[in-house]
Amino acid sequence: MRPMETRLARLARKGDQRAFAEIVELYKDKLFHLANRMMSNRQEAEDIVQETFLRVYKHLDRYDENQKFSTWIYRIATNLCIDRLRKRRPVYSLDAESSDHEGLDGYAMMPSDDRTPESELLLSETQRIIHETIETLPLKYRAVMALRYFQDMSLQEISEVLEMPVTTVKTRVHRGREFLRKKLEPKL
Amino acid sequence: MKCGDAIAYMHEYLDGDLPLEQRRKLKHHLSECPACAARFQSMQHTEALLRAMPVEAAPADLTHKIMKSLPRTRSPKSWTTWVRRHPGMSAAAIFLLIMLSSFVAMWNQGQQLSLKGDDLEHVVVKGRTVIVPEGERVEGDLIIENGELQVLGEVDGNLTVIDGNVTLASTAHIAGKVKEIDRAMDWAWYKLTSWFDTLAYGS
Ligand SMILES: [Zn+2]
Repeated sequence: MRPMETRLARLARKGDQRAFAEIVELYKDKLFHLANRMMSNRQEAEDIVQETFLRVYKHLDRYDENQKFSTWIYRIATNLCIDRLRKRRPVYSLDAESSDHEGLDGYAMMPSDDRTPESELLLSETQRIIHETIETLPLKYRAVMALRYFQDMSLQEISEVLEMPVTTVKTRVHRGREFLRKKLEPKL
Repeated sequence: MKCGDAIAYMHEYLDGDLPLEQRRKLKHHLSECPACAARFQSMQHTEALLRAMPVEAAPADLTHKIMKSLPRTRSPKSWTTWVRRHPGMSAAAIFLLIMLSSFVAMWNQGQQLSLKGDDLEHVVVKGRTVIVPEGERVEGDLIIENGELQVLGEVDGNLTVIDGNVTLASTAHIAGKVKEIDRAMDWAWYKLTSWFDTLAYGS
């Protein structure tokens, strides 16, 4: 049996707008949460969610039904986040490309200064600290950590979304975890 | 157990990938090593805090905005998409289509001689007779309609003669097949073209 998303995608491919609206309803909050955590900016997160759905809509013909619809849509959204983050901090994007075997030190990113104040208000003091710490996560750990912790994906699912081996995902989760722990420990 | 191994086990544990036997070993090490115990506690604390981060819902009007931003009509399934989905089929289909359309073009040309082939430099046309001269070699196929074909030389592919005649000299050499089609008689040919006409003109 085909999951619901695949059925909806088929209908949308034939031009059924209501089916597409259902896909939007199913994924918009999840994608917004992911993008908001990755970008630390509500407006950018909203743009990314919008852009993701636009791409999904335009490329429905390319959706390969052998993979899960969620894998495909998360891949589009994550790639859009990564692209934007790279453009935002070109100096650091070079570091993000470096090998997994290199140390963590020196790879931290500067927190962005364009956070919208209203998003801060919703968070407790502890959550604000975590939020800020996530912003300093190097890019290559950030996508993996966001999928792991904010979408509750298995390592296998993450490896499918990011199209990298599970072993790489595992290494990145471990390093990302250590990075956050070291940063958070003195603050909490 | 060394502390380094214990740390690796901690991560595996948090991944949900640490087998029971190793879990016991880790537990034992933590009971003896305060440094590792503190580290493990800190890791679990971080873990819990991350998972407890509140989920902010997308702005209420986002669905509306998205639906409005979509192009007005999804472009109908394009030819290229179909080709991408049926790579094997499509090559055959395109070939068939090209073949059929060239035949139909010939049909529409009435009783005039028509000649198709990849290599027409090596043939000689005299009136309604097409000649492959002795010592010449034609690469690929030749399709002749409403005419005579005389082969004295070589043809590297198939010969198809529609509503005509073919004469092969003793010096002739045909690498492929020779096919003569009489449109008035050939039922298959009739079916094929009428099917194509229906497809193309909806009649
Ligand atoms: Zn220890």
